[in-house]
Amino acid sequence: MQHARAAARRKPFPWHVVVFLAPAVLIYTAVMIYPLAETLRLSFFDRTDEGARFWVGLVNFERLFLDPHWADQFWNALANNFYFFVVHMAVQNPIGVLLAALLSMTHLPGRTFYRTAIFVPAMLSVVIIGFAWKLILSPIWGVSETLLGLVGLDFLFGPWLGKEGSALTTLALISVWQYVGIPMMLIYAALLAIPEDISEAADLDGVRGMALFFKVKLPLIWPTIGIISILTFIGNFNAFDLIYAVQGALAGPNFSTDILGTFLYRTFFGHQLELGDPHMGATIATAMFLIILVGVMAYLWGVQRRMRRYQF
Amino acid sequence: MAELRIADVEKSFGKVEVLKGVDLAIQDGEFIVLLGPSGCGKSTLLRIIAGLEDQTSGTISIGGTTVDHLPPARRGIAMVFQSYALYPHLDVAGNWALGLKQAGETKEVIEERTKEAARILELGPLLQRRPSELSGGQRQRVAIGRAIVRHPGVFLFDEPLSNLDAALRAQVRFEIGRLHKQLGATMVYVTHDQVEAMTLADRIVVMHQGVVQQVGSPADLYRTPANLFVAGFIGSPRMNFLKGTARQPGSLELDHGASLPLAELRQPAGEVVLGVRPDGFAVGDGATAPVRGKVVLNEYLGRESYLHLELEAGGRVVVEVAPDNPVRLDEIVGLELKPRAAHLFDAASEQRLAA
Repeated sequence: MQHARAAARRKPFPWHVVVFLAPAVLIYTAVMIYPLAETLRLSFFDRTDEGARFWVGLVNFERLFLDPHWADQFWNALANNFYFFVVHMAVQNPIGVLLAALLSMTHLPGRTFYRTAIFVPAMLSVVIIGFAWKLILSPIWGVSETLLGLVGLDFLFGPWLGKEGSALTTLALISVWQYVGIPMMLIYAALLAIPEDISEAADLDGVRGMALFFKVKLPLIWPTIGIISILTFIGNFNAFDLIYAVQGALAGPNFSTDILGTFLYRTFFGHQLELGDPHMGATIATAMFLIILVGVMAYLWGVQRRMRRYQF
Repeated sequence: MAELRIADVEKSFGKVEVLKGVDLAIQDGEFIVLLGPSGCGKSTLLRIIAGLEDQTSGTISIGGTTVDHLPPARRGIAMVFQSYALYPHLDVAGNWALGLKQAGETKEVIEERTKEAARILELGPLLQRRPSELSGGQRQRVAIGRAIVRHPGVFLFDEPLSNLDAALRAQVRFEIGRLHKQLGATMVYVTHDQVEAMTLADRIVVMHQGVVQQVGSPADLYRTPANLFVAGFIGSPRMNFLKGTARQPGSLELDHGASLPLAELRQPAGEVVLGVRPDGFAVGDGATAPVRGKVVLNEYLGRESYLHLELEAGGRVVVEVAPDNPVRLDEIVGLELKPRAAHLFDAASEQRLAA
């Protein structure tokens, strides 16, 4: 009796919650969770020459990190990838902050034009950007040598994309050129969100110009800069397209522009005489996933947690 | 400590004239309230004094020095904003120190001023808190502290109580008044709230549409408003206005016929407006009084009641009566004028007529 009454009083199962969540859960599982899980699973297998799959445990990872045939390429790609990221952090984000600060000046004629012009490359296809820059920088028919000559700097020109020492830097700077509009926009929005009153109060305190920016505005946009840094990190460690478009899958010259994305591509799909190896490919993908995961977590726990978001 | 002179200041935004020639001399240590409805130009005037806005013409001088070309920080002023405008990333002490550091003050001076302001505002235990960890009233006190540590000649307040709730408003208002007595500094305070103006000011400057309407002590403004605008703006509930014609001394012919004996009227004045505050009427006999009206609303407030009357002659008036007054709704009552309760204004120029 009592049981029956308690059951009747209990709330009915919230089926509507399940129904409303289902589409998102199903789609997300199909395109994100399942492929990710399958990739992680594949990295623990290998196959015989006949194509039979068998469990190998962590052997793939051991080969990737230690076997000279794989490890040389892996550590080279990882180091290049870090360099690629460092160039973005050191060049793209400071320039983005600078451009945003300039855009938010009170008296700036042509603000909309600059804002749009700087943002346009971010909307273009990487293939177009890569091809255009390849032409611009070409020592044979590129315009850059002529343009440098007009200001007397043609002695600086070199086949930047073709030299091992400069190719990766050049690619990183092309990428910076393309995407600098994104940090600029985010920081511009953050600067606009700072109330005018605070700038006026600072003005009354004698804090204006550079001092206003460094003592008042910059501390208030640190959280935004933090978010941009983590987006840059994720973007750079997933990068592939620009290198592939400009230098091809071999990431030449002599693998000097090889990053994890291109290394993964060659391994997984195969290239020229090399056959594709889905298991080693999955191993590289898993390593990339773990690197990004560790990077993001270290950032969230170590940095972002200590930063305050300010309410005005 | 400094006197402040505002000489013929005009300000236009494009074609819109916001200030049409303002002249004011404010003495050292005076508490001046700029009072007016929104859009009257009072905040613009304050911002021009602060140097946040440039006047179109005219000059501002503080302590005898013309400051028109000085940046805000070098004018010897400090300002308290309606929104507090504290630096969110700095704690209370940091908020106070930023301007002093920028001015190159030594550590000892900064520490001493911080202690002084903390003592005056009783904020000692909160010096290490950030603005987001403070209540609205505390934030406004921190903002006032940021003004105090600058040791300014003139304090400027821009509607400092508008963001506070009613109870806090009374408390912070009291504190600002106490602060003025304690520091003896010149203060210019902008508000649209007549209670703040009446309670705090040595002198009130009533502004309307960019023009100073009247300057005077709270009592002056209440007793002898210079024109219809001031008469209607100061006092709550607002003054009643009745139109009429003054053809002969001693009696005012109201529009729609009735004639009101008026000792104050010593000479014919033509078309006039009679202003009477709610406490200037006495309720009399509904049969014989010259002005009669029907009670349409009785607002009981405990210490007094306000009767809203629809006059037989047209128009509405509000009359203050004792709360135990036995009038009923729809009853016809007569109104008599108490002695010295009448304010007379010229109907065309809206200026006060010398009685």
